[in-house]
Amino acid sequence: MKIKVQPASDEIPTSSMADIAFLLIVYFMVTTTFAATRGLDFALPKDDDTPPIVEKEDAVLIEIQADGRLIIDQKPMELDEILEYLDPKLKNNPKKPVIIKPLPEAPYGMMVAVFDVLRQGKEILKLEKDINVSLPTQREIESFWF
Amino acid sequence: MRLKRRHDAGAIIPTASMADIAFLLIVFFMVTITFEKDKTQVALPKTELRYEVPKEAAYISVTEGGQIRVTTGEEMSVPVDAEDVVTFAANLVTAFPGRPVVLKADDQVAYRNIDKVIDSLKQAKVELIYLLSEQKTVSAVGGGEGG
Repeated sequence: MKIKVQPASDEIPTSSMADIAFLLIVYFMVTTTFAATRGLDFALPKDDDTPPIVEKEDAVLIEIQADGRLIIDQKPMELDEILEYLDPKLKNNPKKPVIIKPLPEAPYGMMVAVFDVLRQGKEILKLEKDINVSLPTQREIESFWF
Repeated sequence: MRLKRRHDAGAIIPTASMADIAFLLIVFFMVTITFEKDKTQVALPKTELRYEVPKEAAYISVTEGGQIRVTTGEEMSVPVDAEDVVTFAANLVTAFPGRPVVLKADDQVAYRNIDKVIDSLKQAKVELIYLLSEQKTVSAVGGGEGG
């Protein structure tokens, strides 16, 4: 019996190329996580163990309660009232420090929300410079103010 | 005159360029993919202002339960105690002077946890931190969402 020999093809088989490529795409799409890469910048003051020049009485004090409520200069206030309250004070003295003092049990998100509002102050209140925001830590408060 | 019969339209989908398109998509994904050094899942706070965080930055993540993970940005993040953050920050400042620290903390975490971290960073003389956040969507009728 004569065996028929198939002539060897000189073509590269590429028919499965698309399948492989799409499998790779599916892998990348499944493993890709869209990372949050944006946030609010905050320049930390130099810790040189000297009392801050800011006196508590000269500044606006924003306290954040454990339930997220705001007390500004002893008065309860809402988040969207902060800039309205600060406007005349900053017109008088653009360098007036604003101290954010969250209580230990206060939610971090509220501190960020307050900081976000203060950072928008320059544009909304048409100030020449950013609002002078200070975020003293508990250790600094105990060391320098009490 | 007798018209020539038209050829039947073939029922074949042209797939010759499929592989080219697929490989272009692969190249896109390979170029844009960034391998996160810290994969801690947290519900980030929402802010209206957001600035791009530098690619070369150290990360400190704080979960709602107060667990802390740190990375200099060179290796995968590792869990640490709150007391060890100051050592980490001091080493970071020595090894990579001027490198910012990105604080990736949960929206609901008690501020006392964050206070300790920020205090450690101040003591280690870190100059710049970023508070990682998500975009706050502003509602159509006046004001934004409550924070």
